[in-house]
Amino acid sequence: MNVSHSIPGRYFDGVSSRLYRVQFNVEEQVAVLTGDAERRYPLSDLRISERTKHAARRVTFPDGDYLEIDDRAAFDHMLLHMGHSDSFVVRAQQSWRTALGFTLLTCVILVLGYLYGLPFAAKYIARSLPPRAEMAIGEGALNFLDQHVFAPSTLPADQQKIIRERFAKLIPASPVATQAGMSSENSTPIEIVFRHSKIGPNAFALPSRQIVLTDEIVNLLNNNDELMGVLAHELGHLNEHHLMRRLIQSSAVGIGATALFGDVSGLVAGIPPLLLDLKYSRDVESDADDYAVATLKFNHIAVENFARAIEKLAQSTKNYEPNPYLSTHPVNSERIARIRKAE
Amino acid sequence: MTASEEQQILADVSQPESKTYQVSFTGSGSEYFRIWIVNLLLSIVTLGIYSAWAKVRRNQYFYSCTHIAEGSFDYHGNAIAILKGRIAAIVILTLYNIAVRTSGTYTLIMLVILGAILPWLIWRSLQFRLYNSSYRAIRFGFRGSAGQAYMNFLLWPVLTLFTIYLLFPFAHQRIKKFQHSESRFGTTYFSFYAKVSSFYGIYLIGFISAIVAGIVAYKLMGSPFAGIQHGPHTERDPASFIGIFMFMLAFYGIFFLIFPLILTMMQNLIWNNTKLGDHQFHSDLRWGKMTFIIITNILGVICTLGLFTPFAHIRYLKYKLEAISLTTHGSLDNFVSAVQDDVSATGVGMTDMLDFDLSL
Repeated sequence: MNVSHSIPGRYFDGVSSRLYRVQFNVEEQVAVLTGDAERRYPLSDLRISERTKHAARRVTFPDGDYLEIDDRAAFDHMLLHMGHSDSFVVRAQQSWRTALGFTLLTCVILVLGYLYGLPFAAKYIARSLPPRAEMAIGEGALNFLDQHVFAPSTLPADQQKIIRERFAKLIPASPVATQAGMSSENSTPIEIVFRHSKIGPNAFALPSRQIVLTDEIVNLLNNNDELMGVLAHELGHLNEHHLMRRLIQSSAVGIGATALFGDVSGLVAGIPPLLLDLKYSRDVESDADDYAVATLKFNHIAVENFARAIEKLAQSTKNYEPNPYLSTHPVNSERIARIRKAE
Repeated sequence: MTASEEQQILADVSQPESKTYQVSFTGSGSEYFRIWIVNLLLSIVTLGIYSAWAKVRRNQYFYSCTHIAEGSFDYHGNAIAILKGRIAAIVILTLYNIAVRTSGTYTLIMLVILGAILPWLIWRSLQFRLYNSSYRAIRFGFRGSAGQAYMNFLLWPVLTLFTIYLLFPFAHQRIKKFQHSESRFGTTYFSFYAKVSSFYGIYLIGFISAIVAGIVAYKLMGSPFAGIQHGPHTERDPASFIGIFMFMLAFYGIFFLIFPLILTMMQNLIWNNTKLGDHQFHSDLRWGKMTFIIITNILGVICTLGLFTPFAHIRYLKYKLEAISLTTHGSLDNFVSAVQDDVSATGVGMTDMLDFDLSL
């Protein structure tokens, strides 16, 4: 086959940076350069760069010498004649219709992945990790808090004992048929830690399988049934591996955002993970509320106790109702309504 | 040879031709958007594996869109090498994150390990990047030794930490000097002669501008924290909430004005003090335009939930690259390829070692 038109280009020989003006031609399966430099190469030895509209088009020869095409339209035409076809990716990149299809598909995958895929995967991974991995993460957290936030508890020892004993008898909703104090899945029992604090009434779970109760929350609720509701909520965080799940999810969102926007600005790449992670935080809280409701029912404690506990907590912190999209916890009124509905 | 011809040649020798070539960048946002989205989707559905091939394609596009003196650049990076580098980077990052969340001792051990390997990895990836770049079919290269890499990427940065960052401009100058004077094009080396004092000058200007802007913002709005001292109830006062919000906005505003200022002065300083052989580079970035591009890019990305990213990338690159020009001293045709650096026996071993790229 002989393609009659010759195509102007700039040839670089790979030995020096000299510019050779040449004509490119194909004769009988041989690429022929004529002009400042004369070269002949079998067509099969040529490597042709991918087609784009705005970048230089190149034909690279076996020794690394190459030709930059000046007349790209004529070159495309020649390739078409020779039966050269672009790869699937190149064709997709050059068509607006395909690119828009890809855009839509990417958005759908990202949204579904964020709403369902990632939480599902994180749940599965968190469950299959050895308990030691989770405990290692929280190691030293209580020490840190003791140094900076907490003082020793001033609650009477027998009050502490009563709460610990009641909690030990509490049967968690899952895993079934174990007592809270001695979960079968994790050999380490859950310990309740009492502390006096500067942060007011609060309760939270540490992955080292400790639940911290501040003196202030015990005094505020002043009711062991309500306290069991709060403890059941924290137990949910521990038994459902919420911390590990959050960790996996926020890492994945962070990596994704950096991959997407890191090019433009690290500062911008930091904003979406913050907002996206808040939803996961609220989801986990609702999850723990459900767990608490199930556990209370299982132990024949009125669910209303838990709702009242949240009400009291909400009043004590004098929470103004925050913007639901910018909050780590679901709005209190919604939480309470949800719990009462489950009753 | 006639007398006039002889004279002409003599003139050429004594008075080498001097010409200024401007870099041009022909990449288009709409084309890069399509390249970006197609490769992004392929990367997502392959759980990130394809991202190495996507990077090769992106670099090939950017390089091939960058022209100077009738030649364009080419990127030769091998996707498998990039994939290996990315896997290594993810392993390192994961281990580091686990260590940080576990205990102080592990974090310390991990920091020591990172300090020991990171300079080596940066050095390797510098070599990889330059070796895999070419212009007019001549490859770039990097000579610097591992010892220098440890000095520039470990010793000076660690010293800046112990001098409350007073040494930071010095460390920055040393790193740029290392990069720019150890790089070569074919057999011709780049040289770098920007002074440490110029680096200090730029950071000092940045620092003073930030303080002045901060004081102006403070005077205009009053202290947003004044109300807080009166008691816990002021937290609910919407006026003070808006005050804090305005203050944050001002903080971001200052950041987005000062950051391009430093960026602009730095690129100009670095390239105005870089030579390739006898050929002098110039850079003529303007602060106003740079600031405008950066701020509109960020707004664009936020308003389109990220879809503007590839357009932003092209705009930014185009302005930065097209600000650079090269004034030649003699012909650009005489650079010679380094002696067969990819076919000799040691060369093969060398490229095997170089098959590693850490940069994400």
